[in-house]
Amino acid sequence: MRSISRACTAAAAVLAMSLAATACGDDSGSGEGQAAGGKTTITFWDNNGGVRTPIYQELIKRFEQANPTIHVEYVGIPIASVQQKYDTAVAGGETPDVGGVTTSYLANLTGQGALEPADDWLAKSSLNGKLVENMLASVKQTTPDGKLYLVPATSNLDVVWYQKDKLDAAKVTAPKSWDEFFTAVDKLTKTPDQYGWTIRGGAGAIFQLLAEAYAYSGVNTFFDASGKSTVNDPKNVELVAKIAALYKKNTPEADVTNDFPKMVAQFTSGKVAMMHHNLGSYNDHVKAFGADKVDAFPLPVGLSGKRTVVANPVDGFAVFKNSKNKDAAWKFVDFLLSKESNSYWNQQTGQIPANTDAQGDSWLAERPYLKSAVETLGSPDTVVVSPPYYLPQFSSITKADTEPLFQKVLLGQMKPQEFLDTMAQKLTEAQEEWKKAHS
Amino acid sequence: MALARTTGARGGPRALRWAPYLLISPTVLLIAVFLVYPIGSVLYYSLQHYNLTKPWANGFAGLENFREMLFEDPLFWSSLAFTAKWVVVEIGLQLLLGLALALIVNESFIGRGLARSLVFSPWAVSGVLTTGIWILLYNPTTGIVRYLGAPEAAVLGNPDTVFGAVVLTELWRGVPFFAILLLAGLQGIPGELYEAAAVDGAGRVRRFAHVTLPHLRDAIVLATLLRSVWEFNNVDLLYTLTGGGPAQVTTTLPLYVAQRAIDSKDFGYGSALTTAGFLILLFCSLLYLRLSRFGADHKG
Repeated sequence: MRSISRACTAAAAVLAMSLAATACGDDSGSGEGQAAGGKTTITFWDNNGGVRTPIYQELIKRFEQANPTIHVEYVGIPIASVQQKYDTAVAGGETPDVGGVTTSYLANLTGQGALEPADDWLAKSSLNGKLVENMLASVKQTTPDGKLYLVPATSNLDVVWYQKDKLDAAKVTAPKSWDEFFTAVDKLTKTPDQYGWTIRGGAGAIFQLLAEAYAYSGVNTFFDASGKSTVNDPKNVELVAKIAALYKKNTPEADVTNDFPKMVAQFTSGKVAMMHHNLGSYNDHVKAFGADKVDAFPLPVGLSGKRTVVANPVDGFAVFKNSKNKDAAWKFVDFLLSKESNSYWNQQTGQIPANTDAQGDSWLAERPYLKSAVETLGSPDTVVVSPPYYLPQFSSITKADTEPLFQKVLLGQMKPQEFLDTMAQKLTEAQEEWKKAHS
Repeated sequence: MALARTTGARGGPRALRWAPYLLISPTVLLIAVFLVYPIGSVLYYSLQHYNLTKPWANGFAGLENFREMLFEDPLFWSSLAFTAKWVVVEIGLQLLLGLALALIVNESFIGRGLARSLVFSPWAVSGVLTTGIWILLYNPTTGIVRYLGAPEAAVLGNPDTVFGAVVLTELWRGVPFFAILLLAGLQGIPGELYEAAAVDGAGRVRRFAHVTLPHLRDAIVLATLLRSVWEFNNVDLLYTLTGGGPAQVTTTLPLYVAQRAIDSKDFGYGSALTTAGFLILLFCSLLYLRLSRFGADHKG
């Protein structure tokens, strides 16, 4: 009898729980993207979640105040896995409404038909004519149909960050040529307490290495007229050999596996005097040293005598084709790129706004490294080399395929020539295949 | 009543005939969804060109992926060789140390309960967390290694030291598993056998060789087989600790699969590599069970 009543109680409890679960299910499932109270909910994926999360939280608060009928669900994705997360979401048909996207994986996403072009929205928006022209052009070049699948938000530039007091102590000024640079690295090295330089040998190594190689060689295109990759140009090989020679002599041994967090951690620990990255790590350095203790200079001018810059991937926002609320998603993009929001975002991250109105704000002029970056990018004397972001394989060639090879170069197991020849061959083949597929 | 039901109504026996199938159907369904479908899908994709970055080249490939894997891809062979070395060294050391630990904590001494808990605790730590702990220990600037060798030595960045470092980390996590299973086996050996052996004049070594080891055989076979499969497929620890580097020296076959399929998005080739790994494991497991005559001693 007792066991029957216990069984009845258990059954009643299970029933009650399942009813409650059904009730919860009903509540959350009422209409796609519609939250309670008739609000439209859009999901936003931040492609560099972490340091930037508070910036977006603030901007979303402002957006929701201005648009009380829209609720933005923020999801911060770590930068290292963002491409994989997008691919998985596309394969599963569960993409966000809007997300941060860069041109380095834009071709991959548009190749899978995941994104909605923004040309029509932009034409009707007050932003029209206010975004940096060459960034828009760079985005359009990335896809075969020449449409704007990504609206640029920020401009970036590769720079060398340095600790001011370390350079002052060694009586070194910011190097302007590559010879001066290598001399400075030597002067700043006092192993094992201080290293003049740090090499990014792990994830993300190849882009930085190519930025250094083209800055040094002054080669101004990624492919020559016959469609062959210029990556293995003799001057590029020379630079890679010079950088590899610094490993363990002027850099920590751990550099061979350095990804972005490890490299920045090494620099901010104070042991490394100079480090190559882009404007994006500004916040990390200020947090570690204070704004007045750290500064940056552009990569030195190379053998051609002309400053040569490898264009960074353009970072911006894209609306996804699967979204049920595309107009609300665009409204959010439009808000993020407005003068106020774009200025706030870039001021916080230490990068250059894509909104030209925001570029005139006073905070930009107050940071010398940013002022010089804007000048460098805008100068007619600067040669900009555009990597083939339109090749869907570009990302895998410069990451999974060749990062381990660069590690072999650093460890002395492979010659720089062989490493760059391999990369050049893969890029040339990819370019040929792409041309054939799109001809 | 029961008689009436089986002989009277015509639907009764038929319903009974279907009952067993109905009862096992949830299991069959689960196996189909979670085993047959994924395995079938991997086999299917291994015969396809399926690369997200080259959608224009996707299509039926026949045995092309396997030909490339066997004859044109040195990394397949080097990752396979490293996997074999990794499994043999890990399992050998884990078995020896696990057995030693099990024998120690099987003895009676003060604080045995605490010692047993301590021995088993690393097994409760997740792979990624284990890596987190050991990355800190191996950190050249802040880790414990700076007291052991040259300052700023990057044990995980040096091809000469990285193997020892990852083996040590996995030993820390894996030895408790052997110790747990072998301790359970030790506790199942009747004490009278040791007494009888002692009466017959057998010393510690002979008692170990003729009483302990034969009784532990099944536990040892099962533990080594299970751990071999797990170590072969170990991705979490190596992926987070070294990512297969530096310069691919710690890339196992499953890590290579992850690189090709997930990083390079070549799911066709990744599926071919997975199929190869699956067949190798299947073959080795069957061979091992046959050679070790698993469970045979119970029949005399």
